[in-house]
Amino acid sequence: MIFSTLEHILTHISFSIVSIVITIHLITLLVDEIVGLYDSSEKGMIATFFCITGLLVTRWIYLGHLPLSNLYESLIFLSWSFFIIHLVPYFKKQKNLFNLNAITAPSAIFTQGFATSGLLTEMHQSAILVPALQSHWLMMHVSMMVLGYAALLCGSLLSVALLVITFRKLIRIFSKSNNFVNDPLSFGEIQYVSERNNVLQTTSFLSSRNYYRSQLIQQLDLWSYRIIGLGFIFLTIGILSGAVWANEAWGSYWNWDPKETWAFITWTIFAIYLHTRTNFKSVNSAIVASMGFLIIWICYFGVNLLGIGLHSYGSFTSISN
Amino acid sequence: MEALILNHAIYSKPSFRADFFFGPPLLHCSFKPTFYPGNSGFQGSYLKRSLSFTVTCRVKTPQGNKKNDGNIAKKIILSEEVPPPLVEEGGGENESQEVAGKTGKMNGVMGLVKRFPRKVLAVLSNLPLAIGEMFAVAALMALGTAIDQGEAPEFYFQKYPEDNPVLGFFTWRWVLTLGFDHMFSSPIFLGTLVLLGASLIACTYTTQIPIVKVAKRWKFLQSSEAILKQEFSDTLPRASIQDLGVVLMGAGYEVFLKGPSLYAFKGLAGRFAPIGVHLAMLLIMAGGTLSAAGSFRGSVTVPQGLNFVVGDVLGPTGFLSNPTEAFNTEVHVNRFYMDYYDSGEVSQFHTDLSLYDLDGKEVLRKTISVNDPLRYGGITIYQTDWSFSALQILKDNEGPFNLAVAPLKINGDKKLFGTFLPVGDVNSPNVKGISMLARDLQSIVLYDQEGKFAGVRRPNSKLPIDIDGTKIVIVDAIGSSGLELKTDPGVPIVYAGFGALMLTTCISYLSHSQIWALQDGTAVVIGGKTNRAKAEFPDEMDRLLNQIPEIVESSTSK
Repeated sequence: MIFSTLEHILTHISFSIVSIVITIHLITLLVDEIVGLYDSSEKGMIATFFCITGLLVTRWIYLGHLPLSNLYESLIFLSWSFFIIHLVPYFKKQKNLFNLNAITAPSAIFTQGFATSGLLTEMHQSAILVPALQSHWLMMHVSMMVLGYAALLCGSLLSVALLVITFRKLIRIFSKSNNFVNDPLSFGEIQYVSERNNVLQTTSFLSSRNYYRSQLIQQLDLWSYRIIGLGFIFLTIGILSGAVWANEAWGSYWNWDPKETWAFITWTIFAIYLHTRTNFKSVNSAIVASMGFLIIWICYFGVNLLGIGLHSYGSFTSISN
Repeated sequence: MEALILNHAIYSKPSFRADFFFGPPLLHCSFKPTFYPGNSGFQGSYLKRSLSFTVTCRVKTPQGNKKNDGNIAKKIILSEEVPPPLVEEGGGENESQEVAGKTGKMNGVMGLVKRFPRKVLAVLSNLPLAIGEMFAVAALMALGTAIDQGEAPEFYFQKYPEDNPVLGFFTWRWVLTLGFDHMFSSPIFLGTLVLLGASLIACTYTTQIPIVKVAKRWKFLQSSEAILKQEFSDTLPRASIQDLGVVLMGAGYEVFLKGPSLYAFKGLAGRFAPIGVHLAMLLIMAGGTLSAAGSFRGSVTVPQGLNFVVGDVLGPTGFLSNPTEAFNTEVHVNRFYMDYYDSGEVSQFHTDLSLYDLDGKEVLRKTISVNDPLRYGGITIYQTDWSFSALQILKDNEGPFNLAVAPLKINGDKKLFGTFLPVGDVNSPNVKGISMLARDLQSIVLYDQEGKFAGVRRPNSKLPIDIDGTKIVIVDAIGSSGLELKTDPGVPIVYAGFGALMLTTCISYLSHSQIWALQDGTAVVIGGKTNRAKAEFPDEMDRLLNQIPEIVESSTSK
């Protein structure tokens, strides 16, 4: 009983912090960048991270297995992975990585918000494990898959951002969020450049903007490559451990089950992305990564929505039965 | 003179890639007008920066558009004054591919026999082709999940009718002629996979193995121009190359020092691992083929207490399937039982199996469950399903009778079983009796002759129930175990491939960083590049270069 109360409390705390953080982000995006507010939103993110960690740990102790057996739990884990990716720069104290925040923070917030909001309430009760899931592979397979999804989603979102910036669909809000994404290093350089060229102020302003933008594009490109590379490792390990598990539980290491197939499609798409990195333009690989973004969602959510195949225990339909 | 400007220009702007500027046409336009007219007014680093755009693009375009041989020639001319490494500086797999393609054409004179395989190789190792194949595989798989698989033709006639085609053209004719009703074994899908495998082999052979050779040759750069052309470059005014070597060693680099020049690298495994990834993929494909061609499969539902012979159940899946000695093994189901949660849901299925050889000797006994199969002589027996076989009852203390239980079809995936005990005159045209329904082996729901709910009994409770004067005791519920049997010679190969793939994918993430340096008087010219962590590399280099002590008395020694 104490566990479910604790779980309840943690869920509510994290949800309220998440709503506050969303509000702060909206304010900084629409009104102006207030340093104090931004800091507090970062503190909020850290607090939420600890809440979710607490939530996962309580569930783990309470259930006796890593809470990854249905969609709600895997969503919580997904947002937890986003938070991990979000917090890595803090621990590494790497300034360059800070432009990731603009991608990871909203992803983490929205996943968490979606998981804890009313949409999936029926799923909140921890379901029992069906026989096929009672294996140590559950932990390995699902955690690797979700970590992989999280990293790939982040990386492909960076690519989407790259495409948006490249194709200049720049509304005012976006130019503001560019500042938000701004990394301090290149900004310093711009100032340096404009100082030296104050004679031709207008031209230099334009060109430094261009220079800055191309710097940003390059940064986005390199980081999305790096993060997708990491996610690809997780995805590979996840799929392969799933295959080994399937050979223990279902009788074959590959069954062409819809979820399996879509995971393989995701893997193929990101393999294509990694190949396009060798000698194509960054825009082309960014397009591939954006396709990958959609495909991950189909794989993660779409297949569950239909509730078909052997992976149906994570689905929406199973709760109605 | 031009060369000098070129160097300075690149030097002033580290880690810039031309691709970003010449990628989208929009950007391309926006650059030119800004820089060229403004040049005269610009001074200092800014001028150089603007110049560098033009220079870098000239150097790099051959990489970007990989079509014409003319570019290569230009590039070689460009690098005439620089020692050979610059030719490899292009580095990408693309270039060696082009070279391979060129040599293929040149060797064409040697005759058709030799030329043909080379041409095929060159075509297959073409990266855009391989990417196209991967897209094709992905698209076919997506289609395979969109179209219901393995249904009868009538299903497709209904679902994809000719008078109302999906998307205006997609009818059942497409599905059936192209074999999309069994996508994952259709010739089109398998053909694409084979093509992809061929591309993998060709690419490994013509592109990746040469990389190993090239990577081995990449050693000392003798001119500061070449060093400054690297993605990252810097010049330390008063420093010694030995200090640099020590610092790099401390950071985990392999350092080679020869006279005034230095070469250091880290993470070489990261460059070679992609070859391993490709080989692992090939291994998995080979294992998968063997699995498909050489397996036996079969499933059987055995009531508790009965037995079957392995060979009767297993059927071959391909032309390589060879039965073994172990096929004569007889399997006896000693017991089938289920575990339940407190809520009544099934938590696990167990089957106690005994294996007997031809002489009737028990060779193995194991209780299997889902996730815990039995393995004997290459045969694997899985617990996959269950069923209700019979219900043992006492009727008015007579019996026990075994009532056969039949599965009832209901919506959803939950099972329901039912049986019927006739009461009264059995020979009359409309027999009435007691119906018994069960969802699992745990509890039986009984209904009287009118179909009204009478009660629930557990099989071994010995508690009688009285329905319209008939006293019934449910003695036992006999389940049958759904077993799946298979032999799969491909599994060890596939598993080896899996292991190799995981390992090599992880290693591929390592960044192969190379650093060249040259002692140029009192200054040290440093250039470096990396293939993965391009964003972190300049930071790491700055951090390392900060550790190099500045030599104060250098002016006296010079």
